[in-house]
Amino acid sequence: MAGVVLRGRFPRRRMVQVVATNVFRYIFRGAARNWVRNMGSTAPALGSMTLLLFLSGVIGLSGLALYNLEQVEAGQASVLHVYVRDNAASADVDALWDRLAQDPRVASVAFTTRAEALKRAQRIPGLPQLADASESNPFPASLDVQVKKIDDVAAIDVLVRNDIAVDTSYPTSYDQGAYQRIQAVLFGVAVAGLAFLALLAFVAVTVTVNSIRAAIHSRRDEVAIMQLVGAPRWMVRGPFVVEGAITGGLAGVVGGAVTFGLAMTGMAAGSSSFAQFAPGITVTVAALAAGIVFAAGLGLGSGSSLVSLRRHLES
Amino acid sequence: MRSIVEFKGVTRAYGSRLALDDVHLALEPGELSFLVGPSGAGKTTLLKLINREIRPTSGEVWVDGIAAHSLKASHVADVRKRVGVVFQDYKLLPRLTAMENVALALQVSDLRVSDEEASDRALDALEAVGLGDRGKAFPHQLSGGQQQRVAVARAVVAQPPLLIADEPTGNLDIDTSWEMMDLFGDIAAFGTAVLIATHNVEIVRRLQRRVLTLVQGRLVRDQPAGRTGRLAWLASS
Repeated sequence: MAGVVLRGRFPRRRMVQVVATNVFRYIFRGAARNWVRNMGSTAPALGSMTLLLFLSGVIGLSGLALYNLEQVEAGQASVLHVYVRDNAASADVDALWDRLAQDPRVASVAFTTRAEALKRAQRIPGLPQLADASESNPFPASLDVQVKKIDDVAAIDVLVRNDIAVDTSYPTSYDQGAYQRIQAVLFGVAVAGLAFLALLAFVAVTVTVNSIRAAIHSRRDEVAIMQLVGAPRWMVRGPFVVEGAITGGLAGVVGGAVTFGLAMTGMAAGSSSFAQFAPGITVTVAALAAGIVFAAGLGLGSGSSLVSLRRHLES
Repeated sequence: MRSIVEFKGVTRAYGSRLALDDVHLALEPGELSFLVGPSGAGKTTLLKLINREIRPTSGEVWVDGIAAHSLKASHVADVRKRVGVVFQDYKLLPRLTAMENVALALQVSDLRVSDEEASDRALDALEAVGLGDRGKAFPHQLSGGQQQRVAVARAVVAQPPLLIADEPTGNLDIDTSWEMMDLFGDIAAFGTAVLIATHNVEIVRRLQRRVLTLVQGRLVRDQPAGRTGRLAWLASS
């Protein structure tokens, strides 16, 4: 059968392998080689992005801690401690307890003895020393009133402060506006933190966009040749996006590692007080924050590259 | 038979200046044509329109059945796969060998081409242009004529139906220029349409191929092959 050409199908698996090899070579390996070649012009972008991501991680963790603190404060603010006179009669205390328990604005009432009050104080940073300084127990017994709505705390305070069973010097724990002041401070801190991050993000994106522009400029001949020989747009742009992702990824690794390291150092340095000042920050949360910082780095780097390509690379 | 390139009333303006003005032309498969005209006549603009580097201000540009005039930027590669391009300054990548330069054109336009196939076809193309033994040489190790041959090999390795060349002999001596023209003739003989923009009057006169003359953006003469006509652009250059 001379002269007959048999046309066999190119095995699909082999084709996939060939395509994958070519994509890896022209997109990823090419990007890595170019990244190393342009390291000098990439350094400022790497530095600013690392700083941004590290601060984002720290501010993010701090924000979470502050949020948890605010939740704790909100919970505490809706509890009114009604301090009982030292020599108050049990019947008077019971009568006050009943009156409070029957009030529709009250969720629950619990009695804390002086001994329990002392134990509770010893768990609060700074108070153990105060408690130990006195030979007698300085903390009074109290009726702990959980109010349904935080706005009703003031009315309950007015209701109980002149009761016969209540201490005349320090009748209740009510501090008008304390919770609002905490909220205002936290809001201010959050706004300042976000504004600072936004500014830093703008700087990091601008620096990265410019570094990619410099990379495009230095390889404009190569880009032009690739385009002229028929390389599709994604193949011309892909290496630049991967380059940006490498920069962002590296910055994310460093920023995430430093964030994780700082959180771990804080936890190791003072586990009890750290849990008080930064509630909810655990090893898992710190590791998650580091992961988010890394992912944000990848996104920021590749996103900045795309912005630069749209602006500076002709199709 | 469908034309490989067809211009229908193509006008291209840069601001208020007309680079091409209402050009109509068609190139057929296997046809070798020259594009001549004085500097600024619109030769390079015409080649860029074929390769979809720019779009016409008005009119239609068809390349191997593709409407290049309305092609989206994301599909430009579809046209460029069908057009081999040769430049006066060769435009080879200096960090790649001759063979890698040729193979690159194959693989970036078709990712299904394996390394072995790309190497084989690149070597075939280099042998076809007389450089089978210089595949491992880098561009700076080759003469101008050799670099231009590598550029031609790169342009034809994917066997496009059209080859366009912008002043391909501009940097070459006369002997090498003739060798290049022989090469373009061979390529056309295999069915590829070849369009060469040139200032080289001697080559255009002696080869007696089709000559398209542009003057101030207008196609003032379309001289068929086999005729020795007056080169109208000389009068205005």
